[in-house]
Amino acid sequence: MPTMTYLEAISDALREQLRADERVFVMGEDVSAFGGAFKVTDGFVEEFGEQRVIDTPLAEAAIIGTAVGAAVVGMRPVCEMQFADFVACGFDQLVNVAGKAHYRFGLAVPIVVRLPSGGGFSGGPFHSQNPEAWFMHAPGIKVLAPSIAEDAKGLLTAAIRDPNPVVFLEHKHLYRRVKGEVPPGIYETPMTARVAREGSDLTVIAYGAMVHAALEATEQLDASVEVLDLRSLVPLDEAAILASVAKTSKVLIVDEANETCAAGAQVAALIAERAFEQLDGPIRRVATPDVPIPFSPPLEQAVLPSVDRIRDACRDLLDY
Amino acid sequence: MPAETSSTTDVVMPQLGVSVVEGTVIRWLKQPGDHVDADEPICEVDTDKIVTDIPSPTTGTLTEILVNQGTTVEVGTVLARITSGSAGLRAGPVGSGRAHTGLAAGARASSPPPARSAEAADAGASHAPSPSMPVAGAYHSPVVQRLADERGVDLTGVVGTGRSGRVRKQDVLAAARASEDRPLHTESPYRPDGEARGQLSRMRRAIGAHMKRSLDTAATCTTWMEADMSRVEAARRGAKASSLLGVTPLPIVARAAMDALAEHPALNATLEGERYTRHDAVHLGVAVSLGEDGLIVPVIRDAHTLTVEQLGIAIRELARRARKQQLTPDEVTGGTFTVTNPGQFGSLMATPVINQPQVAILDLEAVVKRAIVIEDDDGNDVIEIRPQTILGLSWDHRALDGAQAAQFLGALRRRLESWNGRS
Repeated sequence: MPTMTYLEAISDALREQLRADERVFVMGEDVSAFGGAFKVTDGFVEEFGEQRVIDTPLAEAAIIGTAVGAAVVGMRPVCEMQFADFVACGFDQLVNVAGKAHYRFGLAVPIVVRLPSGGGFSGGPFHSQNPEAWFMHAPGIKVLAPSIAEDAKGLLTAAIRDPNPVVFLEHKHLYRRVKGEVPPGIYETPMTARVAREGSDLTVIAYGAMVHAALEATEQLDASVEVLDLRSLVPLDEAAILASVAKTSKVLIVDEANETCAAGAQVAALIAERAFEQLDGPIRRVATPDVPIPFSPPLEQAVLPSVDRIRDACRDLLDY
Repeated sequence: MPAETSSTTDVVMPQLGVSVVEGTVIRWLKQPGDHVDADEPICEVDTDKIVTDIPSPTTGTLTEILVNQGTTVEVGTVLARITSGSAGLRAGPVGSGRAHTGLAAGARASSPPPARSAEAADAGASHAPSPSMPVAGAYHSPVVQRLADERGVDLTGVVGTGRSGRVRKQDVLAAARASEDRPLHTESPYRPDGEARGQLSRMRRAIGAHMKRSLDTAATCTTWMEADMSRVEAARRGAKASSLLGVTPLPIVARAAMDALAEHPALNATLEGERYTRHDAVHLGVAVSLGEDGLIVPVIRDAHTLTVEQLGIAIRELARRARKQQLTPDEVTGGTFTVTNPGQFGSLMATPVINQPQVAILDLEAVVKRAIVIEDDDGNDVIEIRPQTILGLSWDHRALDGAQAAQFLGALRRRLESWNGRS
């Protein structure tokens, strides 16, 4: 099985879908001639041509709006936001148009919006955000956030084939740092959670880059810690979350996003409502405080959930 | 250390009835640090099957809880301490780890306490007791409570290994494992379908303990005798329109039974250990079903002095108050003889369990019409339809013999079959 980086796995999924399905095309800022800001679509225009690898103006509303129109007439567009933060400019097209079209008109809008997200590289407040919860709050949109290369490829494939609008959060910090075996050929990863490590004393729930932070933080602990990688935020794998809490009775939820109303808040609410009688301690969360992400490297490291903060919270819960 | 302006009052387990020697604290309504007003209930105490609120003897701050929930203590035991006055805080031995002395709001605003006291107060505000000292009135997490319920673990006896002695999931599981006797056989994992209803109620546990104790103590025998209830039924029919009688023949049977007891006083007695006591007065226990909740046996004092009508009223009133849980501890103790009346549901025979330390219990079952052979005035055998019942008497072979039981039942039958308003 070939080993790929997280970024290569995303490219691989895109390339295979472009080859397999002529309805699929990609568009975004600098995706064609330049191969994308992060080089996800490097070499695509040479293979698939300018008709299917389209450079767009710096206008996210236009990118997503165009994609919605194309999808309604039968295409399978994949849009790249250069940084996840910029999706705010396309918010209306995504949330109000794409997300509601099936409800309003019975029209499927099979678009994928790729969102390079997350901080950790001094990108500052406009290039570091984790906006997934915005879309969790908007009915009609699926939200995926893989943490490993194999899932990145399988989930992007599933997203492109899905009849609904899907926002696909690919964490920039993982692009070249995370490598793993990726099955060749086309496959779909189910939109369910994945047990990243089995354990019995404590469950740490995370997604995206925080899965790796959670694994590192709990590696050396003198306890059996389960790490649950959500992979999909909408749909949310409630059964997997509840099963893990039933096993361990203690739970820590990690979000790289700002704390208030983050994905982890929804997970915490679910556990409080449905697993109350399984709990042997408070539901704890570690997240980024409700502040913009600073440019300054030491300040950024101070606000993002660190391995140490996660480990301290785990110890606290294990001792409880 | 209490400041000079404060005083400490002990809350003791009160004598909740003349025969009550102990009580079980089932719930603390106040926690250390809470303000309490005089006469405000601070905990609930269970004596036998009666739950009573214990009022605070004074106004102040509840500083210490000395008896955990679920613990049974003798009358006079100190349950808690209340501090009145400006200090409002009894810090306890500094550094002893017994930091569950709570801190009332504003307590530290009083005359400057010694520095060490202040530290203890802070500790009290943020930490629970050390592992060696079970937390009085502690909260347990949902999973701990559920597992304790499911596996029958008494949490008051579990030593917690969590922070500040908190009982954790693994502690309950360990306690449940430790309490399992080594099985003589491996039980099949098969369980019939059924809805788990959790742990038995306090009432059910109390009934179970009483009944097992009786069966373990007494040499219980049961004697039955059939009786023709024609006269009793006629009296009930006649009385229905005008009085409180008529629902069941119980008041009449009770009245007749007490007259039969006067004839056979050996049955109106108690046997405690080897001490057998006959009683002149009949304090009559009457079993009252509380439906699914259980059964309670309130006692009618000096029942032998009451008429049928008065008995009817007394039984109805006690049953009403029993079902509203308004009985006092004294009203369920001190009986000398008991009647039980499940016949209202149609049953024919039973083997009632003696209400200790009494020596006999009379069981009244259903009255049903039967074809029986009787002798008419001319001495001919004829078949007649008569309302018949089977009188059952469970008696303690340690105190009595079968002949006395049969003689008593015979006397009772004679009175019922010749009932004319008085036995």
